[in-house]
Amino acid sequence: MTRLYAIAVNTFREAIRDRILYSILFFGALVLLTSLAMQELTLGDQDKVVRSIAQGAIRLFGSVIAIFLGIGLVFKELERKTIYTIASKPIPRWLFILGKYVGLMGVIAAELGLMALLYIVLMTVQQGFPASSVFVSWVMLYMELGLLTAWAILFSSYSTPTTAAAFTLAIFAIGHSADDIWMFGQKAESESVRAFSEYLYYVLPNLGVFNATDLAVHHMPIPTEQFLWAMGYGVGYSAVVLGAAALVFSRRDFK
Amino acid sequence: MTTPGEMAITCRGLRKVYHSDFLRRPFVGLHGMDLDVQRGEIFGFIGPNGAGKTTAIKILMGLQSATAGEASILGVDHREHESKRKVGFLPERPYFYEHLTSRELLRFYGQLFDLPRKVLDRRIEELLVKVKLERFADVPVGDYSKGMRQRAGVAQALINDPELVVMDEPMSGLDPMGRALIRDLIFEERERGRTVFFSSHILADVEMICDRVGIIVGGELRGAGTIDELVGHQVEHVDCVYRCPEGFDDAVLPGERVRGNTGERSQQRVDPPDLDKTIDLIRAAGGQVLEVNPLRASLENILMTEIDRKKQVDSKRMGVLN
Repeated sequence: MTRLYAIAVNTFREAIRDRILYSILFFGALVLLTSLAMQELTLGDQDKVVRSIAQGAIRLFGSVIAIFLGIGLVFKELERKTIYTIASKPIPRWLFILGKYVGLMGVIAAELGLMALLYIVLMTVQQGFPASSVFVSWVMLYMELGLLTAWAILFSSYSTPTTAAAFTLAIFAIGHSADDIWMFGQKAESESVRAFSEYLYYVLPNLGVFNATDLAVHHMPIPTEQFLWAMGYGVGYSAVVLGAAALVFSRRDFK
Repeated sequence: MTTPGEMAITCRGLRKVYHSDFLRRPFVGLHGMDLDVQRGEIFGFIGPNGAGKTTAIKILMGLQSATAGEASILGVDHREHESKRKVGFLPERPYFYEHLTSRELLRFYGQLFDLPRKVLDRRIEELLVKVKLERFADVPVGDYSKGMRQRAGVAQALINDPELVVMDEPMSGLDPMGRALIRDLIFEERERGRTVFFSSHILADVEMICDRVGIIVGGELRGAGTIDELVGHQVEHVDCVYRCPEGFDDAVLPGERVRGNTGERSQQRVDPPDLDKTIDLIRAAGGQVLEVNPLRASLENILMTEIDRKKQVDSKRMGVLN
């Protein structure tokens, strides 16, 4: 446990000393603040529009941080050769991957926490304290970012940051289109296309499972079963992807 | 007969084949190496650049996998994580997390060994003093000079009070003070009964401090033993330093002139059987013998010979192929 803690804390410490984190946070906060100005520019339920833009900003910048920190996480250790003094210690490589993951999830929790705090302050001043569904949606978002981070680490464990970024962005895009893949597949006339779309739907991540933003924006309750399914799906899928990352990493030669 | 458990390092048929280029053509980095390093000795691993020293060390330290063969560290299979429990490792040109101070760095590495907090606190302070970094303990490693980084690297290699210390080129690029410090630390570890295994191409250091040496050339271990065993006791030549009256013609002396006969000190290199005759001739001419220095083969001679042999074998092989 000490070893996992040491790797996680070191990862957290390294990330929060990285300027790129603050740049992304700054732009996230900027978008959150400008969402207030949107009130003056929109028609209809202006409060909902503001909430929607602000929630979208939290989701977007959370994803950006998960992807950009995740893709460099393992690669940087190899490039800077810091891995030499770690992999030569009595720690299994899966523990290293898990420690890096836990550390990065700590960074994402801190980042989400800060943006959520800003959201709460802004909304409380403008519209009143956010509904409980907003908080539940953030927990689901955190789980989504956990899955995205696991994919980023998997790609980072065997490729360069550029390739890992491209793959992770692809996973992000596909993950948010999983329902469309299913729907279009079912409409296809060819049996093989339908079967292939079903295969893709079940193998690739469905990030839509974690998206409860619409309910939160409308201050509607999020069904318990939807929340539990998202949590179970997120934990299970992340564990499988991290397991794959650990497997790939454990077979790697450090040159 | 010593068993693997009594050995610090045992390798049997350790082989590494790389397929790094686009066509995945094989390149043999290590040809079935057999090696024994005894507990409590300082073992130097020498060879030219690209000989396979770092490859062997990386395999032993779990950074690369062997294509074939077996190895054990302190009696435990090198592929098991627990084989590293009592091992300290200093990689070549060590890189560290630049944002950490050396005190934080040592704590981090100590935690990777699950060391209890009190033990770790004491060990960190001891090591900072030992490697002379106590005044810079709270400065980020990113601001350190090369020598200071190397010392921090040695400290992290010793954090778990290891029974076996493995170092890859520990003295490379260091100034004389830095090299002396590393040498002293290596001696200190041996005095405490620890084993030190290190690679180097600074042969003077190896000759000075190693109990035994392994010579690796082109991925093959060409020999291992004490320096006397490798270079032999035999005196190859004798340098005779003398002073003679002006006008003495050194052409009458056997051997070859090393330094001319016009100054106060002349020097003649002769074969050992000719030494008595040389001394007699110098004395007969009214001269005085000042020094007689036997010259033995050095590690450098042995290494260069092995490199030449390897080149000859390779060129013959190429000739056969062509």
